[in-house]
Amino acid sequence: MTTAKLLEQQNPDGGWPYRRGGSWTEPTVYAVLALAAAGEWATAERGLVWIRAGQRDDGGWQARPGVGESCWVTSLAVLLPAERLGVKRHQRATAWLSATTGLESTTVYRVRQWLMGSQAATETQAPGWPWVTGSAAWVSPTSLAILALDRENRLHPAPGLASRIEAGRRFLINRMCKGGGWNHGSVRALGYESAAYPETTGMALAALRGCRGRETDQSLDLAVRFLDECRSADALNWLRLGLAAHGRMPGGYTPPAGITYRTVPEVATSILADGALGGKSAFWI
Amino acid sequence: MGEAITRRDWMAGSAAALLAASCARPVRTTQSETTIVRAEAYDQRLYDIVRRLVASHRLAVRGRPVVIKPNLVEFEPESAINTHPLLVHAACEAFLALGASRVTIAEGPGHRRNTLDLAEAAGYFQTIPDFEDRFVDLNVDEVTLVDLPQRFSRLKRVYLPNTMLGAALVVSMPKMKTHHWTGATLSMKNLFGVVPGGVYGWPKNVLHWAGIHESIADLHSVFPRQFALVDGVVGMEGNGPIQGVPKPMGVLVAGTDPVAVDATCCRLMRIDPARIGYLRLASGAPAEFAESNVRQAGEPIAALARPFALIPQFRGLRLESGA
Repeated sequence: MTTAKLLEQQNPDGGWPYRRGGSWTEPTVYAVLALAAAGEWATAERGLVWIRAGQRDDGGWQARPGVGESCWVTSLAVLLPAERLGVKRHQRATAWLSATTGLESTTVYRVRQWLMGSQAATETQAPGWPWVTGSAAWVSPTSLAILALDRENRLHPAPGLASRIEAGRRFLINRMCKGGGWNHGSVRALGYESAAYPETTGMALAALRGCRGRETDQSLDLAVRFLDECRSADALNWLRLGLAAHGRMPGGYTPPAGITYRTVPEVATSILADGALGGKSAFWI
Repeated sequence: MGEAITRRDWMAGSAAALLAASCARPVRTTQSETTIVRAEAYDQRLYDIVRRLVASHRLAVRGRPVVIKPNLVEFEPESAINTHPLLVHAACEAFLALGASRVTIAEGPGHRRNTLDLAEAAGYFQTIPDFEDRFVDLNVDEVTLVDLPQRFSRLKRVYLPNTMLGAALVVSMPKMKTHHWTGATLSMKNLFGVVPGGVYGWPKNVLHWAGIHESIADLHSVFPRQFALVDGVVGMEGNGPIQGVPKPMGVLVAGTDPVAVDATCCRLMRIDPARIGYLRLASGAPAEFAESNVRQAGEPIAALARPFALIPQFRGLRLESGA
């Protein structure tokens, strides 16, 4: 995968769409990270200008211009190097992300549950991150937030960051499916076990980089099995990233036939997965 | 949700609203007429069955854009999870034959982000010519903030895809399935898929916190011009909407009033529509879901009804004999 396809799809405003249409924050940050990984900072700069302009007063980013609420894509912005994004912008984004939790972890909700006589659920003891404020924490936004904050914490260690990262990782372990791996974050419904997805399994494994244990091992084994079954570029990219994070990518692996790279995030994360497997990752240091 | 919209965004939103308004001429419908037709298999006969079924409802779509919203959930093409692509293609052809200016297929899955891969695995690319050109991923479409007219839930407004807002007719094409949160998932629950994941995430959990039944009723109220066409050729019973068991029913159910269509489907599934929360909320007075208020065309319910297996938590939904 090369950056040429990304350059073709850049919008005149400097941002990127998912496939076509207006610019969104997620594809734009992934495209900038991929261009940067390829050493094309000059080209990435127009995208960075678009990203910088999108930061909201509270320090976070909205999904796309006009939506008017900071959300999970702030994690992606925090993955950008502070010196490129702007140090103060980066600090404000990190602060927004550190202070964000799922609604089920908030004091108000927990007090309400306590008054109603509900036992505190396991996940409320280990807060993760929601897609948008006012809703529960889920696996993908939690994984991305951990990746972003862990990268920042390794550069500028802070106790507050370390404790959030640790709690986020416990959230992921709590949400692991029976038999390993992760889906969007619903382990069971009405007593029925839910199946893991390849893309979220890879993403959670990347966030658990450096963590050892039965759960991680079980999920790594599943991720290796998923490699031969996955039917989307998104799944393949995140499986490669998750396995790369643990040094478990099988040698000589050939992807299944028919995988199509249709979206900007798919093209960009493919480039980022190549980089991670080559020892240079935008997601961790 | 916050609403700090720039002037440019406001202008874009206004343009979309204007577009929606320009399409807002009422589609002539026959209220609360629900049709049940036999459709034994996913084969070429569906094209004629669907063409005649759609034509019988005298929908005024000539020269207007139609959006078909199937239910795409998971990657298993052999299962009964997703709306069958042959049926969706048959509906496309039927609306084009009626003179629709454009027929768009649009969906925004709630759990899996890779919508086009999901569609490919479900057989849409192979079955529907030029599928990619006809398809819009509602999760990442352009959006407009819309005030909810009824406010059944605590949501006051919601971002919705401009593709849906610009449709002269929204055709909801769900699979006839049980659902582990709502009892049954049919044409109204199918509208969860129009809420953009790009804004609200995967799953669209804001709707869960606002109340699932209430949110379904809210979304139903946003789209006054709907046609429901339910894929009951093979439905799903038990632990739906994903882990249930295929249930061959050999039927299609259609009509311009989704409340009436869903109530009819419930009766075919031997589920009491009066015990489905969103049907009660969305139903007018007198209750649209009452059997006496639905003009039933085609096959009679009694001849085709077969009880769908229900998980223990939903056994109280069972339609009593003769109800």
